[in-house]
Amino acid sequence: MLDSAMAALASLADPSLLLMLLIGTVAGLIMGLIPGLGGTGAVAILLPITFGMEPPQALALLIGALAVVHTSDTVSAVLLGAPGSASASVTMLDGYSMAKKGQAARALTLAFLSSMAGGIIGAVGLTLAIPLARPLVLSFASPELFMLTVLGVALAAVLSRGNIIKGVSAGLLGLVLGMVGTSPTTAEERFTFGSLFLGDGLSLVAVALGIFGLAEIASRASQRRGQTENITLGGGWGKGIREWLSHWTQVIRGALIGIWAGVLPGVGATAGTWLAYGQAVATAKDKRQFGKGDPRGIVGPESANNSVEAGDLIPTLLFGIPGGVPSAMLLGMLLTYGIQPGPSIITEHLDLMYLIVWSFAIASILGALFCFLSVKQLAKLTKVPFAVLAAGLVAVMLLGSFQEGGQLGDLWVMIILGVFGWLLKSTGFPRAPFLIGFVLAIPLERYYFLTDSLYNGLDWMARPGVLVFLAILVLPILWAFIKFIRARRNTNLDDGHRNERPEDDESPLKNSTWSVAAAGIFAVAFAAALISSAQFSPEARLVPQLVSIGGLVFSGILLFTEIRTRLRARTASAGWTLDAGFAMKTFLWMTGFLALTAAFGYLIAVTVFIPAFLLIVARARLKVALIYTVALYVVLLALPSLLPIDLPQGWLNTLV
Amino acid sequence: MTSQKSSLEPPLGFEEAAATELPDPPQHSRRTVLGAVASFAVLGLATTVLGEGLLNPPSSTEDGNFSGETLEFLIPLASGGGTDTWARFIGTELTNYIPGRPGFAPVNEPGGEGISGTNKFARSAKTDGTEILVGTASTVVPWVLGRSAVKYSFEDLKPVVVNGTGGVIYARTEAGVNGIGDLVNRDKPLEFGGISATGLDITTLVAFDLLEADVTSTFGFEGRGPVNLALQRGEIDLDYQTTSAYGSAVEGIAKEGKATVLMSFGQLDGSGDVVRDPNFPDVPTVPEAYEQLHGKKPSGEKFEAYKTLLGLTYTYQKGLWVPQETPEKAVTLLRESSEKLGTDKEFQTKAGKVLGGYPLVADAEMADRVRDAYTVSNSVRSYVKELLETKYNIHVE
Repeated sequence: MLDSAMAALASLADPSLLLMLLIGTVAGLIMGLIPGLGGTGAVAILLPITFGMEPPQALALLIGALAVVHTSDTVSAVLLGAPGSASASVTMLDGYSMAKKGQAARALTLAFLSSMAGGIIGAVGLTLAIPLARPLVLSFASPELFMLTVLGVALAAVLSRGNIIKGVSAGLLGLVLGMVGTSPTTAEERFTFGSLFLGDGLSLVAVALGIFGLAEIASRASQRRGQTENITLGGGWGKGIREWLSHWTQVIRGALIGIWAGVLPGVGATAGTWLAYGQAVATAKDKRQFGKGDPRGIVGPESANNSVEAGDLIPTLLFGIPGGVPSAMLLGMLLTYGIQPGPSIITEHLDLMYLIVWSFAIASILGALFCFLSVKQLAKLTKVPFAVLAAGLVAVMLLGSFQEGGQLGDLWVMIILGVFGWLLKSTGFPRAPFLIGFVLAIPLERYYFLTDSLYNGLDWMARPGVLVFLAILVLPILWAFIKFIRARRNTNLDDGHRNERPEDDESPLKNSTWSVAAAGIFAVAFAAALISSAQFSPEARLVPQLVSIGGLVFSGILLFTEIRTRLRARTASAGWTLDAGFAMKTFLWMTGFLALTAAFGYLIAVTVFIPAFLLIVARARLKVALIYTVALYVVLLALPSLLPIDLPQGWLNTLV
Repeated sequence: MTSQKSSLEPPLGFEEAAATELPDPPQHSRRTVLGAVASFAVLGLATTVLGEGLLNPPSSTEDGNFSGETLEFLIPLASGGGTDTWARFIGTELTNYIPGRPGFAPVNEPGGEGISGTNKFARSAKTDGTEILVGTASTVVPWVLGRSAVKYSFEDLKPVVVNGTGGVIYARTEAGVNGIGDLVNRDKPLEFGGISATGLDITTLVAFDLLEADVTSTFGFEGRGPVNLALQRGEIDLDYQTTSAYGSAVEGIAKEGKATVLMSFGQLDGSGDVVRDPNFPDVPTVPEAYEQLHGKKPSGEKFEAYKTLLGLTYTYQKGLWVPQETPEKAVTLLRESSEKLGTDKEFQTKAGKVLGGYPLVADAEMADRVRDAYTVSNSVRSYVKELLETKYNIHVE
């Protein structure tokens, strides 16, 4: 074994292999930076180049890209609050809070170092897990996978900042939204109102970028001046590394959880990153800083989401079962070279296996190094007035989200969810459980259904794995519930100040007409889901109905407390505030941009929207606006021939 | 951030804003804004209008030469799947064999499990031979079932090249299955793991119905890989895998004695009969299994339905199609180039695994065989629909 490992390392000294690895790494980093493209985009652009290469070169190229995508996708999550993937939304919780305190460089340093370590540990894990993979995968049957998805949603609901009832409601609504489309069990269409577009379900990128990205833009587009705090690493890189080293146990725990989650096909990555966050919170003595910029909240999840990719390679290579689109493409590439994934790959292609392991490790180091060296430059982004960034961000996010399905409908969904995300954010609902619920809805239902139909009665509840997960699930909920009751009791003493902590400037519209409206929207949405699911077949309606009933209960409690607070509040609270007005105006701008796109195509929409937004909303200098627009215009012209990117076409394009 | 604070607690927030941030820049005059926006709008408009014309000159594909053209493959599924890999590989290779060496542009139009993209092709594809549809089982099955969302018909398309696949049905030995005989007269029916009864699984379901096998089914798995794992865990007893997955999923556990390979789907020959699959020469086909179980050759509507589905979902499963109105010369050129590609020895070794051990078929008679295979009789349609309704409680609309 060692011989092959060393031989594989020696082969990487071949300049052509190293070059491929380098190209792959750089491509992966760039694609990771653009929210919405990520691993799928990186592999999709590189795949056609690999046709005609030798297998080692092709593998080095693709693995290089795959290993670092989750290193650089942290950048937009931390700096802009726009996670391009569901797992990056975890890093956002603490990373973005830290960046807003002017510590963007600190957050990025921690994240990049953790990504690197996660990648290296992942590569080591990949090597060690080869003999263990089969028993591990086979020991996780449908009941365990079901529990894992429940755990993912529940942890997100309990651990996100904000009160637990709001968290659970958001998680449940995410689940309902995730069930739009074709039912996994009976292939019938649900909540689609006969539309083929909705039949596929909503696009993950559109939901993630809408609920977080656009919402963030709307609430910050009024900032016409950049952050003025000095951005330093505070003592240079040495200090950053030292701080990171002091969290080394979190790094290792996070990475191990990531590998384990990656190995399990189907539900792993998202739930895994949350588990890493969950364990960081659960094992911390002082939990108060989580969600407000605790370094442990960055380190654990960030090392997990890189090692997930390594873990994901295990089922891909050993069973031919890819855990995600990027690894599915990798699988396709291996097949074109006549390399048959399966248990026999270890005996037949051991050298390639080790090449993958080494490439993964080296790319992780290279990628983190590149990012690490550019931390200072990246962090300067926060000095740019947000309103100026916002113009380009809207254009890039809409373009990124268009790439997945190539449908304008996704972009409308994105804007609608942007408004909803802004409402959630402003009224103190955690948005992460909503996204996690959306991602895990289908696996959760699938494995519940399979568990229910393949096992007798409740026998599955007694399986040891299920019992362990149940314990992990119930204990923190119990703990959070006790805390909630206690908090209630305390706040009842000084009436009228419930949940209103002075430091809570994140949610300015809490306890206002807006939050009553938000609770009302939740209740109505659950009621509508419950009513319209009555017409589905029994198998297809079981889970949606359970979820909507649960949602009705929680949102009912919420609505009740909200209304009671409103009635008791003596002073009139904020109704239509300045910020709310500004956010709505920004959404109108976005709608206008999309309408222009639908009419005249993306290119014209950009050339109108960007200068208009920059001059009117951001009040940028004329020179800035001109250069900005020209640069974007040139990039858009060149982009389709450089990258696999399509520009949305409008009604005008069909005429010429 | 500061302006948010100001709404919550105005006096304090205002002071903070003044301390840390400069006041907002002044507004621009209306003339500046209008001027800048208008000139950029003109630039964008000009590019859009002129760019289209410059980039897409009118094509000529009937001159025996595709030079200067771009072959656009419409792949109605998401990138990364088996069909996508297949199409991209074939497209890259094929364009080297077409006279004039056209460019290659794969376009993924995922949506409605392949239906949206195929609908779009049927509605608006160019008919000069430069736009090619990638067909696969996911788009064929809903067409066979006559789902209302389907707005295309393979009868209105012309095949350029087809490529088949095959598969085997196997069982978990521990469930008490050692051979075909164990499929019937059971105390406890065997559990079949499926993805969706209205997908590729339909052929297997019809096979079970034909064989009168003692089987119950659970659908909802994510893919065939997870079904294979569920079988190894003992959650289900029966599964099928296509030829390309056989090596990684079945061969090993069959050797260990954990699984028993029961039968292969077989292949349709030129005259429409089921013959043994060249990749599984020692495995009996479904009709052979029927003979073994029931002592006579299969016949009747169930067998007709099985043969039809075998052709559509296995023997002629993947294909490249052009609209019917495409000029004959262009279609012939594409077909002959594909034939050259398919018979090239170098390509065959390179493509071995992508093609799953089945040749690219593009001979002169291919179109007729495909036409026969893609003609689905009403009795087959109604039998399949009825099977789904009575046995699986699925009403196709």
